[in-house]
Amino acid sequence: MTLSLNLTHLYPDNLNLYGDLGNVVTLKRRCEWLGIDCQLKALNLGDAATSGQTDIYFMGGGQDNDQLAVVDDFHQLKQVAIRDDTEAGTIFLGVCGGYQLMGKTFLMGDNQETKGLGIINVKTQAPSKEVKGRCIGNLVVELPSETHAEMQSIYEQPKEIPQTLVGFENHSGQTYLGQDVAPLANTHAGFGNNHEAEYEGARYKNVFGSYMHGSMLPKNPHFADYMIWLALTRKYKDPTIKLKALPDMEEIAAHQYIVQRYGKP
Amino acid sequence: MAISNLFKRILLVPILLSSRLLVLGLRVSKRGSGTALPGLIVSKYFPFAFEALVNQIPNIIVITGTNGKTTTQTILNSLLSQSSEVKLLRNSAGANLLQGILSELMRQSNDFGSLDFTHAVLEVEEATLPRIAKALKPKIIAVTNLYRDQLDAYGEIDITEAYIRDGIAQSPKAIVVLNGDDPRTSRLADGLGNQTHYVSLPPEYTDSLPYEGETRNTDEIADNILRSQNIRINDDLTTSFDIQGTVDNVDVQYHNAQISSPGFFHVYNALTAVTIGKLLKIDDQKLMQGLKAFEPAFGRGELLVKTEGQKSINYRLLLIKNPASFTLNLDLLRKIPRLRLILAINDNTADSKDVSWLWDSELELLNEANIDWIFCTGVRAKDMHLRLKYAFLDPAIPISTMESIQAAIDQSFDKADDGETICVMPTYTSMLEFRKRMGLMLN
Ligand SMILES: [Zn+2]
Repeated sequence: MTLSLNLTHLYPDNLNLYGDLGNVVTLKRRCEWLGIDCQLKALNLGDAATSGQTDIYFMGGGQDNDQLAVVDDFHQLKQVAIRDDTEAGTIFLGVCGGYQLMGKTFLMGDNQETKGLGIINVKTQAPSKEVKGRCIGNLVVELPSETHAEMQSIYEQPKEIPQTLVGFENHSGQTYLGQDVAPLANTHAGFGNNHEAEYEGARYKNVFGSYMHGSMLPKNPHFADYMIWLALTRKYKDPTIKLKALPDMEEIAAHQYIVQRYGKP
Repeated sequence: MAISNLFKRILLVPILLSSRLLVLGLRVSKRGSGTALPGLIVSKYFPFAFEALVNQIPNIIVITGTNGKTTTQTILNSLLSQSSEVKLLRNSAGANLLQGILSELMRQSNDFGSLDFTHAVLEVEEATLPRIAKALKPKIIAVTNLYRDQLDAYGEIDITEAYIRDGIAQSPKAIVVLNGDDPRTSRLADGLGNQTHYVSLPPEYTDSLPYEGETRNTDEIADNILRSQNIRINDDLTTSFDIQGTVDNVDVQYHNAQISSPGFFHVYNALTAVTIGKLLKIDDQKLMQGLKAFEPAFGRGELLVKTEGQKSINYRLLLIKNPASFTLNLDLLRKIPRLRLILAINDNTADSKDVSWLWDSELELLNEANIDWIFCTGVRAKDMHLRLKYAFLDPAIPISTMESIQAAIDQSFDKADDGETICVMPTYTSMLEFRKRMGLMLN
C-alpha cells in the first residue's frame, strides 16, 4: 500500500517571505524520496478550510498588511476547521511571522501588538526599551533528549541524526510561551524566542512554531522527517510505521557547517 | 541674461579653487578620496554652480529607472565614442545624486570653470531627477523600467513613478525614451507634451519580467518605436538580435546586432541606447560598431579571460543580487546550448547574511537547461548544493562543492577545453573575490 499525505500551504500568496517555500519543497521532495504520495494544496484569502482534509499545515510570514489581511480571513473562513484539526493532533508548522501569527498576539512593524490567530498559547510583544536591536543572525539550538531519541526511532534502519537544529532568525518581536506550550529547543547560538529566555520555538501537541529561516526544513532533514512520521502514524493510526533512512549527505553537510561556524564547541 | 551668466561663471572660479584645495587637503590628510564632499558643500552653499557648469554642455542625456541605468549608460557611451566629434562626460554609477554629479562636473572643469564637452550622459537617481531637471535642461530623458522592490511594503514605487513624471514635466523640451512594455514606465509621458519614443521586446520575453499591471499593447504604436526580434543567446554568452522600427519617422532596420552580454533585459538597454544614438544623429555603421564594442562592466555580464600556455577559458560573470535577478538569469541559461556553471554564494552583509533567498529563487528552471557540470563555491557552497539537490530531477548531473573560490577557478580551468565559456553567477562579495583571484582589482 502506498502511504499518502495531504499538505496544505496556508496563504502562499500573502505569506511568502524569506524562503518559506523551501519548507514546502522539502516536505514534498522528501515524501517523494520516501515513497509517500504527497498532495500539496494551497489555501489563500477567500478559501474556506474544512477539517479532516489535511495532515500537515505550513504557514510562513509576510509583510504587515498581508499579515493583517490574513488574521481577518482566518477568523472568518478557517479558524474552526484548523482549531479542530490541531486539537486532534494534526501537524502544523509556522515559521517566523507565521509562528507569531499563530499566537494570541503578534507584532506589527510599528511595534503594534495585534490579535493573532490563537492556534497556540503564545504571545509576541515588542522588545523592552533596554533591548533595542532585532534578533538577527544564525541560530543553533539543541533539541531535548527525549525528542531527539524519538526522532531517531522513526527509521527502518539505524540512522545518526543531529541533536541540533540550525537556521537564521530575523525578528524584533519577543515571543513568550503560555501554559501547555513547551519550547522546541534550547538556544546554543542566537536568541530564539526572546532576548531573555534561552530557548527557541514552541510545541503544543503537534503544532510547531519556530523563528528559523534558512530555509528551516532543508537544513534540518531530521525535523522534516519527524513531521512526516508524526503525520503518517496519526493518519494511519499505526505507531509502528517507519521511514526509509535517506542518505542526506548534502543536508547534513549544510547543517554541520552552521553548527561548526556558530555553535558552542 | 548673458551678463548674469557671465557673473556666475566668474563666481565659479574661487569656488572651484577652494573645492580643489579641499580635495587635496582630504587626500593629503588621508581622510578619503574626497570625491563627494566638495559637491555636497558647493550644492549647499552655491546652488547656482551646478547650473552654471552643466549648461555649458550642449547635449545632456539623462538615464533613470530602477534597473539597468548603468548598462544603458555604458552602451550609449560606447555608441557615442565611435564618433570623433563627440566629447563625452559621464558620471559613475555610485555618483548619481546631485552631489555626485556636481563633483564630477567640478572635477572635469578647468580652473576657470569651463567644461569642454559636447555630450553628458548622466545616470540620475529617480528621486533626484525632479530636483535637478530644471537646471539640467536635458535634451533626452530615458527611463529603463520601474520594478517594485521585493520588500516594497509602503508603495515606494508609486512615489518613484511620480518623481520621474515630475522630472519630465519640468523638462518640456526633452525628448523622452521609454520602455514601452513596462506599464508603469510607458505611461510616464502621457498627457505631457514631450516627444516620446518607445522600445519593446516580443511578448514571450516580457511575460517573465516583473512588470506591474497590464502590459501596454505596443503593437498599436506605429511610429517612434524600436522593436527587437529573433533574440538568440549564443554559446559564448553574447546576445544577437534584430532591430526594427522608426525613430523620428525614419525607418530603422538592423540585422544581427550583437551585445557582449547574455540576457534579453540587456536588449532593452541596447534598444534605448540605439534610439538615443539615432536621435543624436550617429550614423548606423557607428551604432552597430558601438554595440559590438560595448564591454559590460563589473559582474553584469563582464567577461574575464584566464590564459595559461596555449589554453584560454572565458568566464562570464552574471551578478546575482536577489531571488528576482537570480531567477531572471537562470531563465536565460535555459537557452544556452551547453552550460558550464559556477554558483558562488557568500553570506556577507552585501550578499545577504540569510541565505533563505536561495529557496525563493527558481533553481527548478535549470531542469530545462543543457548542463555539462555545476560547481558550487563560496562560504555557503553547501547551501547552494542543497538547494540544487531539491530542485533537480536528474541526479546524473555532476555537481561539485568547494568553498574556496580559488579552487573553483583552478578546477574549472582544468575541466574546460580551450576557448570554452563558463558562466559564473556570484553574489556581490564572491564576485569581488572572483575578480581579485583573476587578477583584477576593484574598479
Ligand atoms: Zn523572519
